Amino acid sequence: MSTTPLRAAMVPFTRQMRAYFAPVNRETETPTIFDPGLSGAFPLASPPSPWVDLGWVEGLERFYDTPTDVVQSGSKLLPAVQFRGPLEARVEFDFREWGKLQMALAGGSEHMNVLAPAGNVTTGPSGGVPLPGVAVLPGSTASELVLGTGALNAFPAGTLVAVDVDYQQQTGYVGSGISAAYVTSPTAVNQDLNYVRRVTFNVGRVAETTTTSLLLVQPLLGGAPASGASVQAVIAFVDREGGAFFQEWSALFVAEQESGGRICFYYPRLSPNPGAASKSTSTKSATGKSAITSGTAANTLRAFLREEWMLLVKPLSSVSLRAAFLALPYIDPNDGQTVLCYRSYFPAPMAAVY
Amino acid sequence: MQFAKDSFLMALQQRLAALNPSRVVTVNGATVPAILVVENLPPSSAEPQPNTFYVEWGEAGVIEGHAGNNAIMSLECAISYYTLGTVQSMVDRGRVLGELDEELLGMCQPPNTEKRDYTQSPSADLGTSVFWGQPLLGESKKSAVTDNVERYQDARVERKAQLTIYFFSEVILQ
Repeated sequence: MSTTPLRAAMVPFTRQMRAYFAPVNRETETPTIFDPGLSGAFPLASPPSPWVDLGWVEGLERFYDTPTDVVQSGSKLLPAVQFRGPLEARVEFDFREWGKLQMALAGGSEHMNVLAPAGNVTTGPSGGVPLPGVAVLPGSTASELVLGTGALNAFPAGTLVAVDVDYQQQTGYVGSGISAAYVTSPTAVNQDLNYVRRVTFNVGRVAETTTTSLLLVQPLLGGAPASGASVQAVIAFVDREGGAFFQEWSALFVAEQESGGRICFYYPRLSPNPGAASKSTSTKSATGKSAITSGTAANTLRAFLREEWMLLVKPLSSVSLRAAFLALPYIDPNDGQTVLCYRSYFPAPMAAVY
Repeated sequence: MQFAKDSFLMALQQRLAALNPSRVVTVNGATVPAILVVENLPPSSAEPQPNTFYVEWGEAGVIEGHAGNNAIMSLECAISYYTLGTVQSMVDRGRVLGELDEELLGMCQPPNTEKRDYTQSPSADLGTSVFWGQPLLGESKKSAVTDNVERYQDARVERKAQLTIYFFSEVILQ
């Protein structure tokens, strides 16, 4: 037995995994970059912009589905060289917290803001005819919506609001700052003036009102309202089984350092892919579930449950959102390699290196 | 093990000073944040003071199968405190106990701190952390009348919280 510590232990311990997401520019398929050198050691409660903290996640599983094949040569068919087959990686986990973004990512397709109805005129499972929007005036910011006097009464403190431009019969991606849906033709969305606000990620909650403006609890995800934007009250959020649109986001998962070292998993481009089974192995971060360690076990087709119910004490349960994603490729500018995911490790100060 | 104990106490002291600078206690003429380790006090110390956190260490052990030669160790910790309230009638003692509970929970966040060698000045970073579970805010004794606190003749209300800290041993196991 020695009492001289030759080196500090290098075993990472973590309590839970934390998830951060940031938009991908869908027009150019440009992800949000997580640069470990610039922003790797950020405080977990205040991620660098534009990363959005989506809270703790449970049961994170990272599946490696890229086959490695061998070229054999000679009369004895000895292995000569290896090569990687088609790249594929998946990630699955449960969002413990519910919100606009968590639901959109777990649902995977267009995510609807149920706009406050104009009355019992028409009904719809994702909202009927809404109250008309109120124009947002110049001088507004991501945290303050200037409406002028008289228009504020419809938005008392506590009101959820959606802020975006009117639908102008355009096709393609819609949603200011963050692509929220893809419109193939104006008729597909009934030429609805409110369609963009039905799907936009620019939602917030009114903290208080001034004489002319609404002050929001959290800033709009897409930034300051675009010119010509309007605001409408939101009653609820709805996701749907179905829909043609695929969300696509950059994702960062951080295992909070308990024993000193921080582990980060960065996916430049993740697209929801619920229900698809992994072909290979996984690593698992969460407590309470046994890890899948072999291809045989992972190859077993598992039912995909949209929600997980975690018993607190009968009859109380917490409900989490099950989410699954396929990693899309990104070209690393340092060497032109196509990659799906980055794993980075930040050793504790004064920890041994190897 | 002493490094872990010292690091835990120093972290909680600093955090208490930030959370509530007025929560102090005078020990041997020195005013310090009101969290003390019982085994560091002279055996002849007077009765525990109200509104002060007293740390006592309990059972320790090596957790097998986690860290190879650098054993991960657990160490039980009990933190006791009581209050008589702040007014003559003592009717606010439950509220003060609630404040103490909140301060304890706040001191324990985040549930880790660097393990440092405080036997030298300045202290040295030992390259790992001490981390712990969330405290269980229990009771020291049951009362037929009150559920979570014990009534003494002086009507004090008290709490005994328990948690376990974890750290890598300085001893290399073979």
